Amino acid sequence: MENLALKHAGVGRRAARARTWSAWSDRHFKWLLVAPAIALILALTVYPLAYSVWVAFVNFDFQIPGHAFVGLQNFEYVVEDPIARWSLLTTAFLSVSSVALEFLLGLGLAIAMTRTFAGRGVIMLILIVPLFVSPVVVGQIWSLILQKPYGPFDYLVGQLFGPTEVSWLTGSPWKFLSLIVADVWQWTPFMFVILLAGLTSVSPELYEAAELDGVSRWQIFWNITLPQIAPLILIAITFRLLDAVKLFDIIFIMTGGGPGTSTYTTSFYLYQTGFQHFHLGQATAGSWLFLILTAVLITFLVRRLLRPEPV
Amino acid sequence: MRSGRRPRRRRKGALSFDNLVRIVYLGLFLVFLLAPLYWTVITSIKPVDDYMTIPPVWFPEQPTLVHYTAAMFTYRGLAGLINSAVVSIAATALSVLLGTLMGYSFARFNTGGQHLSFWVLSQRFLPPVAVVLPVFLLYRNVGLNDTRFGLVLMYTVTSLPLSAWMMFAYFRQMPAELEEAALVDGYGRWGALWRVALPLALPGIIAAAVFAFIFCWTEFFFALILTSRSAFTLPTIFRGFLGFQASSYGEASALAIVSLVPSIMLGTLAQRHLVRGLTLGAVRG
Repeated sequence: MENLALKHAGVGRRAARARTWSAWSDRHFKWLLVAPAIALILALTVYPLAYSVWVAFVNFDFQIPGHAFVGLQNFEYVVEDPIARWSLLTTAFLSVSSVALEFLLGLGLAIAMTRTFAGRGVIMLILIVPLFVSPVVVGQIWSLILQKPYGPFDYLVGQLFGPTEVSWLTGSPWKFLSLIVADVWQWTPFMFVILLAGLTSVSPELYEAAELDGVSRWQIFWNITLPQIAPLILIAITFRLLDAVKLFDIIFIMTGGGPGTSTYTTSFYLYQTGFQHFHLGQATAGSWLFLILTAVLITFLVRRLLRPEPV
Repeated sequence: MRSGRRPRRRRKGALSFDNLVRIVYLGLFLVFLLAPLYWTVITSIKPVDDYMTIPPVWFPEQPTLVHYTAAMFTYRGLAGLINSAVVSIAATALSVLLGTLMGYSFARFNTGGQHLSFWVLSQRFLPPVAVVLPVFLLYRNVGLNDTRFGLVLMYTVTSLPLSAWMMFAYFRQMPAELEEAALVDGYGRWGALWRVALPLALPGIIAAAVFAFIFCWTEFFFALILTSRSAFTLPTIFRGFLGFQASSYGEASALAIVSLVPSIMLGTLAQRHLVRGLTLGAVRG
């Protein structure tokens, strides 16, 4: 009897505790939902970034022992390094030219695919394939194609224009073009998919009205289509540009930054400084400068684009 | 409806100038897109003697699979494949779980307002190089370097903005009435989420999972730095081919094929959700 009573009391207490817990968890429901995700972001993004502020201001080099405070020396090292400056220039040049090309080619594809026709579904499937390939694999594939002397591209060019002395992956300016081609191969489908979503959502009535009024097709495109899809164009270019400035994988695999340091991008430069030369302090200082540059881009481009639509 | 409306001109069928331009353009682009893939497939099944020839061998007389076995065992492709699969699946599960909870909270309660959701989104655009160095040092201190678990955590956090925002967008366009009805029926918040909202959001969850998986499967940079001899993933094996010799063309191509087939299959299956996936739900495809 006594035991039973005790047991009952235990159950009751447990039930009461469960009730208060559930009341508490219901009250803080919305915060409990985001808590694990935020904890993880704090641990693996915010904490490392905060820690790296310290790294950027001290000596942090696997070859020089100790972590003496060095002030702005790490930042000076990067800012004054001609390789760093060149890599920033290369990054800007490569990302702007690839994104521009991808936009034009993708817009062309989207226009060509707007209307339905036989076989459209299959072509659609093929067109999106590069989006699912690892960038490092894309780089590997293009290296196979562009290499000399056994690659198919060099052979075809030789057949068409006579033998060349050009080395597609190391010669200037060909190495930059090769990198751009690989990037365009992978990411034109990105532009295409988003722009197509825009084009197919333009109301057909707009076109019909314009056609009735006898407006020329060029004018229709310029005055109706473009303004209608402008928000999507901005989104597509923003997303691409913010990824393009991080260009690393295809550099790593296609040129290795070379010859010399001529195809270093900023990400590749920072990787080399930190993980090949082990100047961790300088690399971290450089990453912070790069982070600030991209943060400016992000704030300018993304904030106004992704305002949640009113529900 | 107005009667007597002028019928639209039908261009279908006739080979107008428009159609000709369209066909030529699409055709050229498809060649540009497919030729590299064709060349990779062909290279992966060529006998070694066919590599160093001019003109190149466009189609091998005696296809062989030896490069696939060499890639799998000599180049440790199989170990990389297993690591990639384990890490990608675990990180996808974790990322979609945390992202779904977060997206739900954002969509239904506007938790933290625009600032919090924007902050989460901005993580998506962080340059990995800015984060990886301190993470590398942190992992070294706590013994997570070159472990699958360490990579899983890193991939979870980097794919989290994608999962959270895709689910945010999904829940936002899903009516809240059913959950409210469940609350009235005495389900409690968790019950309403678990038994009503999540089952309804399943298509969105699957789409988010596909994109998170593809992200993890194709990622190179973090794996390059945070893993070495034991937890290395499939993409990192390609660094072994840097400045490579003709003798390893077959293995490199075979590995490329092994790497791209699973993600292409998954991706094309999720084609309907592609636009949402690419823009983190900012554009409804």
